[in-house]
Amino acid sequence: MSPQIAPLSLFFASIFTSNILLANFLGMCSFISISKDYTSSNGLGLAVTVVLTITGVVNWAVLHYILYPLGLYYLRFIVFIIVIAAVVQILEMVIDRLSPALYMTLGIFLPLITVNCAILGAVLFIEIRNYTLGQSAIFSLGSGLGWWLAIASLAAIRKKVDKAPVPAGLKGPGITLITIGFMAMAFIGFSGMLQVQ
Amino acid sequence: MKKDGILYTVVFSFVITFLFVFLLALANEGTSEIVQKNQELARQKAILSAMAIPYSTDKEVNVLYKSIEILDKEGVRLYKSMQGGKTIYAKEFSGSGLWGTITGILSVDEQVSQIVGIQIVNHNETPGLGGRVAEPWFKEQFRGLKAKNGKIRVTYGAEAGSGKANKEEGIVDGITGASRTSQSMDTILNGELVVLKKILGGTK
Amino acid sequence: MTAKDLNKISRENLWFNNPIFIQILGICSTLAVTNLLTNTLIMTLGVTFVAAFSNLTIAFMKDWIPRKVRMIVQVLIISFYVIIVDILLRAFLPEISKNLGPYVGLIITNCILMGRAEAFAQSNPPFPAFWDGLTSGIGYMWVLMTIAFVRELLGFGTLFGFPVTPSWFPQWTIMVMAPSAFFLVAILLWIAKNRMTGGKA
Repeated sequence: MSPQIAPLSLFFASIFTSNILLANFLGMCSFISISKDYTSSNGLGLAVTVVLTITGVVNWAVLHYILYPLGLYYLRFIVFIIVIAAVVQILEMVIDRLSPALYMTLGIFLPLITVNCAILGAVLFIEIRNYTLGQSAIFSLGSGLGWWLAIASLAAIRKKVDKAPVPAGLKGPGITLITIGFMAMAFIGFSGMLQVQ
Repeated sequence: MKKDGILYTVVFSFVITFLFVFLLALANEGTSEIVQKNQELARQKAILSAMAIPYSTDKEVNVLYKSIEILDKEGVRLYKSMQGGKTIYAKEFSGSGLWGTITGILSVDEQVSQIVGIQIVNHNETPGLGGRVAEPWFKEQFRGLKAKNGKIRVTYGAEAGSGKANKEEGIVDGITGASRTSQSMDTILNGELVVLKKILGGTK
Repeated sequence: MTAKDLNKISRENLWFNNPIFIQILGICSTLAVTNLLTNTLIMTLGVTFVAAFSNLTIAFMKDWIPRKVRMIVQVLIISFYVIIVDILLRAFLPEISKNLGPYVGLIITNCILMGRAEAFAQSNPPFPAFWDGLTSGIGYMWVLMTIAFVRELLGFGTLFGFPVTPSWFPQWTIMVMAPSAFFLVAILLWIAKNRMTGGKA
């Protein structure tokens, strides 16, 4: 049985209160190194949003039309990751053909995305929470946007932090983690906005 | 054959995929019976503990479970048992939590004026936060909880945190840091109480 | 490979080159469950198991893997062991498996696994590769267990679920929630960096 959740509250919960990065820690790997640069952060954020939305829906279809009927549920991890890798590859080719300009901004980030935990994480959440197709689309779009919002804001904050006097041992990743911690606290503040029903 | 040739690559990929998938199929086949048994056992245990029937071994669970009467009333499956001279009922419930469906067992007395206990069978809440609905300290708060005017209340937000229920007033302490899950439990259980009242109300 | 080399690998992986301290790698899959020690222990044991055996398998097969499909074969091998962990948990520890939910599957995207496969297993014999994976996993485990220890103790007042703090001790809600994990990783990182550089830097 699929849960009954209002589409709008699912959308906002996945962007703000349960931000895939700040509340679920997913997609940390590229997050810290890329957020040094604002432009790259925006590019990667867009790429993650696009890939996440597509793979969320495709993997939902694969799960419900291939894995469940054939009783291959236990192979889901392998199948999901292969679908993600394939979607990324196809997207890379399509963008390259259609828009070289977009390829210049997105292209370099696409290979990074296959191993981004946020993508697989969102897909696994979709599976385990038994979302419908519509809910999966909303949830994956929201999670992607939430990730984008988080990395873009962090990159902007880091520009300021770079100029601040920070203890030597905390420079670089250390202070960035603390910044992320404060961002996570700020995002928790949104939870009062969302009420059940 | 050349190691980087197309033929070798394709054959290699096929063989390796086949091999690993075969091994996984074996592992899955080998454990599926245990998984199923575990699930059935977990369901029976959930019903027993919701109804406050003590058990110690898995064997005992089977025996005790057989003593429970299963009835069908108005299309709803109910579990009925006599405990300490009183008739109690249990019903499976399910409803939306923050992230997915929470399912479990709710057990009440004959007048639906007091909760005997609850058990959580399945949930997808965040581990360590909403996921704590399945922890004993939360579930134990429902033991003997009075339903005041047919209702109970699960606190949330700043109100939550004492870890103790006010059993006379029907108030359960919610989970700190998981307001939406606490609110969901409130909604689900009150909904179930209404249903149970409707079904059992006439059979006093 | 001598005992000395193995010793060096463990020292590197456990402290000087600890994947978490040096590159903040691989925390995505586990950080979310570090507010309880039991969940963290099972998750990190899973990572250690997968790291050790996927490294072993990759090192054993490296001469037969065509270069073009190297990455995908590595992912396949890692996924294989992760699925084994998932199957074992569902069969023998159903409670824990339910608690961890999607996080078991996320071990696949743990950067440490791919990192060790590429950096070590791909160019070393099986046994040292196994050892490298094992010690990387343990290096990962002790850092996250430290975080989980602090979070569970201050957040819930329990350790492995057993109450330990006196009743007057307030529970720190922040420790249960996400931000504290970020702060604790940063603090550990700070301490580790200072110790490594002898407090001079």
